[in-house]
Amino acid sequence: MIGPSRVAELDMPAAGVETAAARPAQSYWNQSWERLRANRLGMAAGVLILVLAVIAVLAPVFSAVLTHYQPQTINLDQTFARPGATHLLGSDELGRDSLTRLIWGARVSLGVAFLTVALALTVGTTVGMVAGYYGGWIDDVLMRLVDTVLAIPAIFLFILMSILFRPNAVTLAAIVASVGWGSVARLVRGEVLSVKQRDFILATRSIGARDSRLMVRHLLPNVLPVLIVAASLGVGQIILIEAALDFLGLGIQPPTPSWGNMLTNAQSYFFHSGFLVAFPGITIFVTVLASNIFGNGVRDAFDPRLKG
Amino acid sequence: MTQPLLEVQDLHTVFATRDGTVKAVDGVSFELLAGETLGVVGESGCGKSVTALSIMRLQRPGRIVSGRVLLKGQDLTRMSEYEMREVRGREIAMIFQDPMTSLNPVYRVGWQVAEPTRLHHGWDKKRAMQSAINMLGKVGIPAPESRARDYPHQFSGGMRQRVMIAMGLTTTPEVLIADEPTTALDVTIQAQILELLRHVNREFGTATILITHNLGVVAGMCKRVVVMYAGRIVEAGPTKDVFAHPKHPYTWSLLRSIPRLDAEQHEPLKPIEGMPPNLVDLPSGCSFHPRCAFKVERCARDVPALLQVGESQRAACWVTQAGTELQGA
Amino acid sequence: MPELAAKPLKRAWTTAEPLVSVSDLKVWFPVSSGVMQRTTGHVHAVDGVDLEIKAGETVGLVGESGCGKSTLGRAVIRLLEPTGGTVSFKGEEITHIRGEHLRALRRDMAMIFQDPYASLDPRQTVGDIIGEPIDVHRLAKGKQRQERIRELLRVVGMNPRYADRYPHEFSGGQRQRIGIARALAVEPTFIICDEPISALDVSIQAQIINLLEALQAKFKLTYLFIAHDLSVVKHISNRVAVMYLGKIMEVAPGRQLYQRPRHPYTGSLLSAIPIPDPTIELQRERMILQGDVASPVNPPSGCRFRTRCPRAREHCAEEVPPLESYGAEHKAACFYPLD
Repeated sequence: MIGPSRVAELDMPAAGVETAAARPAQSYWNQSWERLRANRLGMAAGVLILVLAVIAVLAPVFSAVLTHYQPQTINLDQTFARPGATHLLGSDELGRDSLTRLIWGARVSLGVAFLTVALALTVGTTVGMVAGYYGGWIDDVLMRLVDTVLAIPAIFLFILMSILFRPNAVTLAAIVASVGWGSVARLVRGEVLSVKQRDFILATRSIGARDSRLMVRHLLPNVLPVLIVAASLGVGQIILIEAALDFLGLGIQPPTPSWGNMLTNAQSYFFHSGFLVAFPGITIFVTVLASNIFGNGVRDAFDPRLKG
Repeated sequence: MTQPLLEVQDLHTVFATRDGTVKAVDGVSFELLAGETLGVVGESGCGKSVTALSIMRLQRPGRIVSGRVLLKGQDLTRMSEYEMREVRGREIAMIFQDPMTSLNPVYRVGWQVAEPTRLHHGWDKKRAMQSAINMLGKVGIPAPESRARDYPHQFSGGMRQRVMIAMGLTTTPEVLIADEPTTALDVTIQAQILELLRHVNREFGTATILITHNLGVVAGMCKRVVVMYAGRIVEAGPTKDVFAHPKHPYTWSLLRSIPRLDAEQHEPLKPIEGMPPNLVDLPSGCSFHPRCAFKVERCARDVPALLQVGESQRAACWVTQAGTELQGA
Repeated sequence: MPELAAKPLKRAWTTAEPLVSVSDLKVWFPVSSGVMQRTTGHVHAVDGVDLEIKAGETVGLVGESGCGKSTLGRAVIRLLEPTGGTVSFKGEEITHIRGEHLRALRRDMAMIFQDPYASLDPRQTVGDIIGEPIDVHRLAKGKQRQERIRELLRVVGMNPRYADRYPHEFSGGQRQRIGIARALAVEPTFIICDEPISALDVSIQAQIINLLEALQAKFKLTYLFIAHDLSVVKHISNRVAVMYLGKIMEVAPGRQLYQRPRHPYTGSLLSAIPIPDPTIELQRERMILQGDVASPVNPPSGCRFRTRCPRAREHCAEEVPPLESYGAEHKAACFYPLD
């Protein structure tokens, strides 16, 4: 009712006006990207996460060039050094440089977060898509499976896993993902149920497309925005979970630094070297906050009200 | 000439959008006399609904930037929100297109119909409910006492629209604005509701503005009609005259493009070429000129004013104002 | 137009036989309720419909909401599986075919949908949308495919350059043209039009109606045109079938239906439709029905229309009226028809 129709020129061949041909095609992805770009705060948060990821990947470079320390180098002469010239963010109870450990810790924390999200998304999407598309008994069985997985107390599982073997980043990611895929599956299933009703799905069936084609080429791209939002928000959540697990000693064990296990011992030293708690804590806080802000920005950019 | 009940004078309402300013209502003027049913006809985007909402001062997020709306001489555009609340529901009532969403699903129907009188007349619960039940009966809802205790989802589309009409009439307003009241209804139910509106108009004497895109509905319900296109009125006059000899190319083309139930033979339809205009980027001069079969040079330059053409009609068209008859193959 | 691979022939069929034949078709949907989600009843969406469509004709299917016309259309194109009765296409029964057989059918039958905003995948370009049927049936590749897509856009009155654009950049009328181009991509014989113009502005409806008629003449198409607007249906159709609560009440050529309706429902439908002519409107005799459409879960016994019919008598509740003939091509299901 209100608002311009997008293309004002006539569409009869005889009266074709060529103005529209000059503009580049405006796909939904382009439009969403434009909207995201306009969101300064969201973009800043995204850039921050990107910078952290780069730092994490290039940790050895930063170690060598910036701090000149290795994360596990013990130097008993310089324990509890205050933040300053020798140790930019101070050193811990074994004289290890905090900044270097934070940089290398980013590898672990971000690495586990991204990997977990990737795993949970892959498994969850597949299950949710199949359940939502086929419905019936397939849906019932799969959703009961999801319910079961979601009902398992995660902490119990983590404790069990850590007793059985020492988790490294990959196995930790797998463990956390094994608990997290359930909510992704539910999310995707819900989205599939709603997209499935739309006429274009029926139209594609009417031309004879197979189910697999429908799911991959039509349902998946339309479900993707929801997944992207879930991923953006999920990264922050996983960082917190992973940090908590490490802190409790159930995750990555020292001496491999992670933001979580840097806090484990630091609590004992809180009163005289509070910075040992503050810096990892602030890092986690800022990263998770950035992830949430970026996630919200992405959700607004993909706003379904503006779809098609 | 009796003083018109409602007068809209050169109303302008705009919306700010990402792509620019949309001039939803671009200089609209018309009158509504007491007791009459006026049709406002046009397609989507022509501004008919926004005009109605502007009269009720419900046009947000749009803004009324200029013009006046006079109800019995008082300018509604100048009133405070407080004063406007007295007008809405009491002097002017509005019913909307979609009966599914116009009623609050969590309240009983009787309560909702009773609400206006409680608000505006300050009646107590009992009196208001009795009046509501009474009104439900008048609009043709069988067993109104028990139905008043039901919730909206227990009613069909047609019944809900009757409830809306009842709700609008409980305060015996002077003006009823019906915005596409039957568009969402089946055709046999539409006939029932239109019959009800006719009956209401006869019995209560409520002046009605009937907004619709359906020319057939206008033909059967309204003595006078106003045709809108791209935010402006392009033609106005008695329904009989406007339909028999339209004085604006848009009206003329529209009438020829509609398949008629009573057509004897299969005549190919004569569609209006092109597409409705982009409201952010209106064509220069007359907004209709890119699609007009009768245009002359002036049409692309100057915006035509709504002037008298023929005995009883007004049309905003340079060509017909100059005396040309609209005819074609 | 570039040559497409020939369609497989199942058995010989000539245009003397009906193209589409529907016999006692039933489509029932289960209704479940309660904690255990048991099936407590059925929605009798389509409840015993007989209909024949000849090659080259347009049969209009009209009725109000809940009458089952859309469901019937989908059952014919086998987007739904009928609960009972048969559907035949080109002499071959297709009621329960599946898999490759069903896919082959999709090369001959296509559908156009109502909502131009929902019937196109917003994530695909116009070219991909139109090209999809071509890809699914492997009809053309590469340059030939591109050329076909461009040709289809031209045929529906759109600039071929629009193939790279996305649906949301177009108006409702243009999107509907894209939907039509998609339906034409496989060179079908039969197209089901499910309310193709209801969602469009009045001034655009005429363009699309004319386009559909032009395409029918050019490509020798057969249409089943489903809509609730009887004026439009009468205009475009050779014969019109009126449905109510899952059954056909009357079938006749458009003009005969209007001039001499036999079924009371048709009569009230006709009298309810506003005509854009004030003189006629003021003089019309209206046959206004009381009450609402009955429930398709528990349809009335005997004649479904009897609960609203001003002419109903006892017999109407006892027996279902069969479709009787009233002259060539005119049938109505009523014990006490209008004269």
